[in-house]
Amino acid sequence: MSSSGGKTYDYLFKLLLIGDSGVGKTCVLFRFSEDHFNSTFISTIGIDFKIRTIDMDGKKVKLQIWDTAGQERFRTITTAYYRGAMGIMLVYDITNEKSFDNIKNWIRNIEEHASGDVEKMILGNKCDMTEKRAVDKARGERLAIEYGIKFMETSAKASLNVEEAFFTMARDIKAKMDRKMAQAPSQNTNQVKVKAGDKKSAGLFARWCALL
Amino acid sequence: MAEALVKKNPGKILCEKCGSVILLENAAIWTEVPDGIYLPAMKTTDGEGAKGYEFWTVSDMFAFENVGFCNTVENIKYLACADCEIGPIGAHMLSDKKTFYVSPLRVKHDVPSDGTDTVDDAQPAPCAE
Repeated sequence: MSSSGGKTYDYLFKLLLIGDSGVGKTCVLFRFSEDHFNSTFISTIGIDFKIRTIDMDGKKVKLQIWDTAGQERFRTITTAYYRGAMGIMLVYDITNEKSFDNIKNWIRNIEEHASGDVEKMILGNKCDMTEKRAVDKARGERLAIEYGIKFMETSAKASLNVEEAFFTMARDIKAKMDRKMAQAPSQNTNQVKVKAGDKKSAGLFARWCALL
Repeated sequence: MAEALVKKNPGKILCEKCGSVILLENAAIWTEVPDGIYLPAMKTTDGEGAKGYEFWTVSDMFAFENVGFCNTVENIKYLACADCEIGPIGAHMLSDKKTFYVSPLRVKHDVPSDGTDTVDDAQPAPCAE
């Protein structure tokens, strides 16, 4: 297997993008979304998921990011889709009131189907389109406070806050994992200590492997 | 041919359009595929695609720095640039879970970071035509 088979990362997080159709979830995945043209093979077939690598405090973090890719239209987002998700980006379009109102429904859907400790974040996308804005930033902030989750306005088109959103999400997931690791010793003292010393992410990989 | 002569990518493998990092240096292995793998044309206006016979391969999808996986078409997941979406730059057959192919003809090869007078684009003209 040589070195190419070795793990070259410290953390692996599975993230989902959820929200109404047309809110630009797909664009949130692409930094240069305005660049891509429609006559490409890829745009015809569509992207299933992406792998992105970020550096976080010297740790290499792999993000596997899934888009609902239109399933939301049929309300078929169920447990299978959420399985293994560690973070969910709830995306609405600031020019579309209804997509904002539906965030509550999406949160309910998540509470019903996703794991209870999944990290959540609300993104108000297309914030470059100020003249068409229908949802004030303050309303987004209030909603986020109501649910006790983070909020950010993003513009995939202007490359604004998109990376920051993923970084924030990754950081929060990592912090949650580290907290869990720190609490674990009360259950099985010695083992956990050893694990935490050599690789903090051991618990995560165990969980991830179960998915494959 | 011998297993000992494993050739790895000396420099980073980048998207030829936007420069997004697809694979870090030494992450992939040069692999000959006698039967070839067909990759559709990048733009639908470019007509037919082409068969490639030599590829960079990795055995774990998380070996990629940044990459997009397309929806499955006839048991194949084509690969795309994670940033600008250009592709297919490679493929992954669901029948072989341990191999991910990247076409050297559809990516840019970065000069190795140790910078010894390696000539850029001096890839050994894999599969001419």
